[in-house]
Amino acid sequence: MANHRVGETGLTDSGPSNHHHDISYAVLHGMNVPTSFIHQEGPAFGFGELEEAMVLQGVKTRNDEAKAPLFTTGRPAATLEMFPSWPMRFQQTPRGSSKSGGESTDSGSAVNTISSKTEIQLEQDSPSSTKKTTPLDHQQKMASDISRTGTSQNQSIAELPHEKRRGSTSEKQLDAKTLRRLAQNREAARKSRLRKKAYVQQLESSRIKLTQLEQDLQRARSQGLFLGGCAGAGGNISSGAAIFDMEYSRWLEDDQRHMSELRTGLNAHLPDSDFRIAVDSYISHYDEFFRLKAAAAKADVFHLITGMWTTPAERCFLWMGGFRPSELIKMLISQLDPLTEQQVMGIYSLQHSSQQSEEALTQGLEQLQQSLIDTVAGGPIIDGMQQMAVALGKLANLEGFVRQGDNLRQQTLHQLSRILSVRQAARCFLMIGEYYGRLRALSSLWASRPLESMMSDDHSCQTTDLQMVQPSQNHFSNF
Amino acid sequence: MHCQTKGSWGSYMPTTAVVIGDPLERIERLASENAVVIFSISSCCMCHAIKRLFCGMGVNPTVIELDQDPRGSDMEKALIRLLGASPAVPVVFIGGKLVGAMDRVMASHINGTLVPLLKQAGALWL
Repeated sequence: MANHRVGETGLTDSGPSNHHHDISYAVLHGMNVPTSFIHQEGPAFGFGELEEAMVLQGVKTRNDEAKAPLFTTGRPAATLEMFPSWPMRFQQTPRGSSKSGGESTDSGSAVNTISSKTEIQLEQDSPSSTKKTTPLDHQQKMASDISRTGTSQNQSIAELPHEKRRGSTSEKQLDAKTLRRLAQNREAARKSRLRKKAYVQQLESSRIKLTQLEQDLQRARSQGLFLGGCAGAGGNISSGAAIFDMEYSRWLEDDQRHMSELRTGLNAHLPDSDFRIAVDSYISHYDEFFRLKAAAAKADVFHLITGMWTTPAERCFLWMGGFRPSELIKMLISQLDPLTEQQVMGIYSLQHSSQQSEEALTQGLEQLQQSLIDTVAGGPIIDGMQQMAVALGKLANLEGFVRQGDNLRQQTLHQLSRILSVRQAARCFLMIGEYYGRLRALSSLWASRPLESMMSDDHSCQTTDLQMVQPSQNHFSNF
Repeated sequence: MHCQTKGSWGSYMPTTAVVIGDPLERIERLASENAVVIFSISSCCMCHAIKRLFCGMGVNPTVIELDQDPRGSDMEKALIRLLGASPAVPVVFIGGKLVGAMDRVMASHINGTLVPLLKQAGALWL
């Protein structure tokens, strides 16, 4: 039964006894009793002072011993809550403690003082004191000798339940308060240990869950299922890349919104003026995208240039960290009918100039790669550090190429909107959006296709609760 | 270059530019000597790209490698001041006029203004 009577509470478990034993052991062997154990006593940092403090402030010592378990669990603060009236008691203790201190000075060492005091209380309080752990038995015997000589303490047993607050002798008062405090300490210690245990169990289960999640994530990444998939094999993603991926997925949601706006506008045959606004906002939407990419290029150019921000099908056609403008135009040309002759010429010359620019940038990048290879391969003249420094300097140029690629893409889209009429431009942007949406959908389908090799695995790689390309799935209805 | 357009130096430089002495003057002079002048650094890959762009269009640009010029570093600094940004190279002058760095050159090519400019400077024939 739950028994919270003074002195009995903490006896059924061996905890406080053990810790008490630990502390005694520590003191006995002259180990440094850590500061927090004695911090409540004030400036008693040295062993000698500790001893003195323990002797002179017996009650306090007992309290602190009982608090020791809490200390060892690293939560001394919890104890304080148990003793709201402690400051008051503190004033009374010196009187009582000096008496009990005098009582047991026969034993001489602080160890025995501590142990005897505690043991006296423990033994007197509970008939089940024999349940305590064996290491304490010798101390108990020692204590019991002293206790039998202390009649006043025997008297205090009987008075315990009734004289918690008053006592004719300071010793009785001492005992009652001490007992109660001790018991409360024990209880607090036990609760604290239980809390700790629960917390640790919670941590363990979280850890297991985390490793499982990581495994799933790794599997998913290798399948490239994640939209804006996180960085590659290592599983590490830079913060710049993570930020960009997040912003990109948000941009894609915006893209969906813009596209449905254009779609409904086209279906409703709105006047051109309405389309002007929609087209302009779509261009701004793309400008925003290139701004995001510029920031990402500065933060983590490899993330862009390896295409880890895109889906596998898009990555297949990656050029300089994004789409190839001339390919896009090629895709659009057939679908943009009817076009005026001037528009046709404009589109073809756009395609031509973008091809030339792409070729120039590609050759520049190739030269960079060759130069990098030469640097990394090194030679007899260059030392390691210098070699790395030179290579790093060359790598920095990658950002410039990705930026120029994006610049080309942006200029191409702008030029398209200039060549085409407003309505044509609306259709054009819608087509572009749908095209890339289909590529993303293709990536998802490809990844989730059934394979013989995958059948034996657990199906986490094929689960649909992984973040598939949500926007593209809306596209199916439009095809 | 057969047809070289020459003109007075002052009108080709932006009015905000201050003629600070030799480097800028030298840049101006070099820029006006040929139809297409590219200031470059031999190890710079973006410069290589821009050279390939012009050659791919059939243009034969005059390339001034700053790292091979004794006064190259001064000119590089002057170019940074002129462009208002780093890096100094590549930078392109057509017909003595400043066109800009790679991004401006490509933008003008995409929006169709580069070719007429080249033709006007005599760097490109139909």
